[in-house]
Amino acid sequence: MTTKIFLNLPVADLNKSVTFFTSLGYTFNKQFTDETSTCMIISEHIYAMLLTHDKFKNFAPNAICDTTKSNEVLITLSCENRAQVDELVAKAVAAGGRTVEDAEDLGFMYSHGYMDLDGHAWGLFYMDPSFVQPQ
Amino acid sequence: MTTKIFVNLPVKDLDKSVTFFKSLGYTFNLQFTDETATCMVISEDIYAMLLTYPKFKEFTPNPICDATKSTEVLVCLSCENRAQVDDLVRKAVAAGGKTYKDPQDHGFMYGHGYQDLDGHIWELMYMDPSFVQQQ
Repeated sequence: MTTKIFLNLPVADLNKSVTFFTSLGYTFNKQFTDETSTCMIISEHIYAMLLTHDKFKNFAPNAICDTTKSNEVLITLSCENRAQVDELVAKAVAAGGRTVEDAEDLGFMYSHGYMDLDGHAWGLFYMDPSFVQPQ
Repeated sequence: MTTKIFVNLPVKDLDKSVTFFKSLGYTFNLQFTDETATCMVISEDIYAMLLTYPKFKEFTPNPICDATKSTEVLVCLSCENRAQVDDLVRKAVAAGGKTYKDPQDHGFMYGHGYQDLDGHIWELMYMDPSFVQQQ
């Protein structure tokens, strides 16, 4: 059984966040969706659980990080090509997200990213597969 | 090409964090490792990039959240069975991590978790595969 990852993120307004990520093309697993949380499908093995602040507090021993002031994590996802990186960032900005820096082109790797409605940072990158060495 | 995820987390002491996660059984990709960052292999598609504070700050406009005081993300990983959940938590605690709640047994799902050396929260869960409905 392959490991699955569920990134649990607090969101201030669940409906708005679902609209935001839907506009980027993501879908949601209805079995794990209710009025306090939803399960966003990134791939067969990768999911983001979007949780209302109240729900998130049930799981976290600490206060919720105020992402307008600080960040604990940067979530980075690989893309199929450069165009997909640009497309997702454009859709995120059109849906109310924002970019914090310009796209970066290192030749073997192209990357950009956006902050979502709650200030969570999502990085997107395409890396030339020939660059990655077998381990 | 399957989507890969890289969860970028700031760590105060990279060597200590590597030792900590090695003791849990994780391995590292040496191609993406230097004195400021390392790439921890969770699965073929799932990685955690552990970054020193100065390195992390290159990627985020905000200051770094003190994860011992507030939390932006809970990283939840699926396990093969209940024993693996318990085994990883036991190893984490032995290596200097701490638990923040008791194991949760919901019948179809068993979960526990730990805070790593920097306070980042890692949840571990085993879910009965028969519980998950085809979407």
